[in-house]
Amino acid sequence: MLIRSAPGSGESRSPELHRRLGWLLGLMVVIFAVLVARLWQLQVVRGNEYFEAARSNVVDERFLPSVRGKILDRNRVPLADNRPAFNIYVVPRLFDAAARERLVDLLALTGEEIARLDQRVASARKRRSGRAVMVLEDQGRDRAGLVAQARPQLGGAVEVHDEPYRTYPHGQIAAHLVGFMNQPSSAEMAELEKQGYDASEFIGRYGVERAWEKYLHGVKGIERYIINARGERMEGAEAEGLIEGERFEPPIAGHDVILTLDLELQQRAEQAVSGVAAAAIAVVEVETGRMLALVSTPSFDPNVMTGHLTRAEHARLQGDPRHPYVDKTLQQHYPPGSTWKFVVGGAALDDRLVSTHEHLSCSGQHRAGGRVFQCMHTHGSIDFATAVQRSCNVYFWKLAERVGIDRMADTARDFGFGAPTGLGLNGEVSGRVPTRELYRKRGAHTVGHTLNAATGQGDVELTVVQLVMAYAALANGGRLYVPKVVERVESARGQLIAEESPELRRQVSMSPAAIDALRDGMWRVVNVPGGTAHELGRSQLVEIAGKTGTAQVRGRRHKEDAAAPGDWDPHRDHAWFAGWAPARHPEIAIVVLIEHGGGGGKMAAPVAREVIEAYFARVKPARDRRTM
Amino acid sequence: MKLGSSAAELAHASIGGSRWRRFLRRFDWPLFAAMAVLVAVGLANLYSATIRTPHSTKFDNQIIWTCIGVTLFFLFAALDYRTLHRLAWVALGAAIAAIVVVRLLSDPIKGSQRWLELGGVNFQPSEVAKVAVILALARLMHDRAREELGGVQLAVGMVGLGLPVLLIAIQPDLGTSILLALIIASVSALLVVSLWPLVGAMAAGLALLPLLWEGMQDYQKARVLAFLDPTADPTGAGWHTQQSIFAVGSGRMTGKGFLNATQNQLNFLPEHWTDFPFSVWAEEWGFVGSALLLAAFAFLALWVINAALRAPDRFGTAICIGVGAMLFWHVVVNVAMVIGLAPVVGVTLPFISYGGSSTVTFFIALGLVASVSLRRQKF
Repeated sequence: MLIRSAPGSGESRSPELHRRLGWLLGLMVVIFAVLVARLWQLQVVRGNEYFEAARSNVVDERFLPSVRGKILDRNRVPLADNRPAFNIYVVPRLFDAAARERLVDLLALTGEEIARLDQRVASARKRRSGRAVMVLEDQGRDRAGLVAQARPQLGGAVEVHDEPYRTYPHGQIAAHLVGFMNQPSSAEMAELEKQGYDASEFIGRYGVERAWEKYLHGVKGIERYIINARGERMEGAEAEGLIEGERFEPPIAGHDVILTLDLELQQRAEQAVSGVAAAAIAVVEVETGRMLALVSTPSFDPNVMTGHLTRAEHARLQGDPRHPYVDKTLQQHYPPGSTWKFVVGGAALDDRLVSTHEHLSCSGQHRAGGRVFQCMHTHGSIDFATAVQRSCNVYFWKLAERVGIDRMADTARDFGFGAPTGLGLNGEVSGRVPTRELYRKRGAHTVGHTLNAATGQGDVELTVVQLVMAYAALANGGRLYVPKVVERVESARGQLIAEESPELRRQVSMSPAAIDALRDGMWRVVNVPGGTAHELGRSQLVEIAGKTGTAQVRGRRHKEDAAAPGDWDPHRDHAWFAGWAPARHPEIAIVVLIEHGGGGGKMAAPVAREVIEAYFARVKPARDRRTM
Repeated sequence: MKLGSSAAELAHASIGGSRWRRFLRRFDWPLFAAMAVLVAVGLANLYSATIRTPHSTKFDNQIIWTCIGVTLFFLFAALDYRTLHRLAWVALGAAIAAIVVVRLLSDPIKGSQRWLELGGVNFQPSEVAKVAVILALARLMHDRAREELGGVQLAVGMVGLGLPVLLIAIQPDLGTSILLALIIASVSALLVVSLWPLVGAMAAGLALLPLLWEGMQDYQKARVLAFLDPTADPTGAGWHTQQSIFAVGSGRMTGKGFLNATQNQLNFLPEHWTDFPFSVWAEEWGFVGSALLLAAFAFLALWVINAALRAPDRFGTAICIGVGAMLFWHVVVNVAMVIGLAPVVGVTLPFISYGGSSTVTFFIALGLVASVSLRRQKF
């Protein structure tokens, strides 16, 4: 103790003072102990945390946008490109209620924009991000100018960044294939930030934009700088000395993705179905599996989807009974109708359950399992080729009774049905190949199930891409390819990054003889009078082979009848055409589906002819000129 | 009335010899050394806090104030504190008058009125009033102990002391007024004969707290609320506390080193050289430096109390205890505010904070202690 008791006349004699001083010293010790304990807590226990927080307080990072790779067609015409745009950002730390009010007033923001602004700022605060966050993307010059002028009044809380913005020069053309982008949700952001994304960046959401995101995205650059308490940027060597690590990491541009698609053919194909309510088309090179056109209508404008989708527009797209958001080539399966008859026909020939010369008679109806099944016509006594040509149901029902449902299922699976094709886009569905087992599970298998399975009705479901790959295999003599939409990936400087070469899935087990018989029948469909596509599908320009299909729609598939557009009848049959051209030396295979379009020969075949003619009249000659 | 001084002391003084040599021999060197350490720390810290800001002239100003302060320290040390016994009430009267004048002369638009401009120098009477209050309080205790003062007169005197507390509170300068109350309470707790009236007064004070809340300015309420929950409005009233905690915490165990307090240099704490110098110190020197600085203050406070115990009379004792209490509470309130244990009130850190009035006040106060110590009893 410092207090010495000393004899004398002073205050030190007072025992009462000493007693009280003892208490007071005790109090002092307790108070100082509390202070020291608190310092220990702040500086030692949580010191590292505050040290990091303090550093992020002064060292700010700004992402330098990397230019996203383009999506190009096979002739390098851009389908997805970048253009300059003004994005408005706010710094959450400085963006107080007054700044928010001023910004809302200044730009006369709509209720929807205000909601988005608040939601993004809240999300940034929740992630404790010090970085500026994009709140209004792709704004006009006047708004950008207003914000730039009002920057001092907004207290540095609002910034305008001039950045590249995604644009789709051809709008709705190939929208389902190219896809679109938008901002990640707050839940996704945490994961994306780990991968080096800035919270304000858009990510590919759909189509190639999504599936090839890691090539397209590129690497953001980072600029680090020192800010003071008012958010002002500090320059000079001293300020820079506070930065640990690189001050500047340059951005690396994303890679260009070159599609197998031919823009001109795609445009022609979309034009060919512009008059119908909903359709899907797939065109593929038979010897490579490369997709030349992939149409799904109605679709959407990716320019709207990318940052300009209002709630009203979303509700409109969502409420449309034709499902514009659904990729009808991959995400939706359909009953194939008579385009499916090659399965039972091929299996019957291979198993020698029928010969091409054997005649079977059609009386216009077929009795089986106590039910009467109706044919379209009374075809009389016909052979295999004629049965294909005229699409006689009774003929193929009789074959089905000989072949059986499971043998048909084996052949179907061999041609790639019942499993995804591996295109790698938009959540491809598998479709369904019915088997005896399926019906046994449901109750009992009857002969009716087998008959329906032969003519592509009942429980047979497939996608447009599955069907076009199977027809390509028929056309090329049995080689089933994996469909490809991307040809190669190149760096911005043109170096090859990745290449997608043709990929053979398998040689189907159907015999060449059976395939030849089917090809012969399908040539007749288009080129011999009486063929189901002879009238409207025949071309003067090139010989086409193929098969029509008219798939009955069971029950009410869509419940929104009242809201349906004029010519849209959800109870009408699906119209199909699947085939290839030229008939003898095939180059391309095509599938056309007119959703609820009616008869395949009447509705789908002329569309297929138009697209095929466009290919041979314009696309192919242009390509030959280029390669010469 | 005559102040008690022992015959031996008087005899000693009459012997004479060299007065200078006697001063040097009896002067309280440890007191001076502790003070000098704190002054040096304060200047170094101020230099670091302002060097890269437009406020670097504040360092030069503070050197001048330190020179003035040291001069006053020695003047008051040499002056026999007992002569102030007669002047105590006059000093208190003058302090009250100065506070009233500030109130009347200042421009009310700027809000709180604390400064008086004297010959171009801003002067804050409420700071110096603390010394006057200590002197008057010491006289009360002295006179009461010698039974020259009745209970009623003591009560009247206490009311007189309450007057500046009230006046400063309505300035409004809540920090100084709370500090004065703490000083009066501490000295009274040690020296009044009966504690019961004191307990009664404190109970009455607590009862008046709701009234005080009603009388507070909005910004004061906001600060108190911000203290209770600093994260509620981190850009508003809680800003100071939040940023100060960031700065202190980021110092970690050994600090970022001299001149490296980024939080402070980049102005995250506005005006940090007056009320938040401890955060600069804690950021640059870490827990080790912070604890050592607190230890230096503790040493100084204890040394002053030691001087109180050896004072030749109750007046000296009361002065020393008053100064000790002033030091102690200034340090506790300021540091608690910086580390988020108390609301932000404008209380300076002795010898470390920038500012003429505060600096001069502490030099004068320790000059009084040195004066008492110089006339201490011999063993």
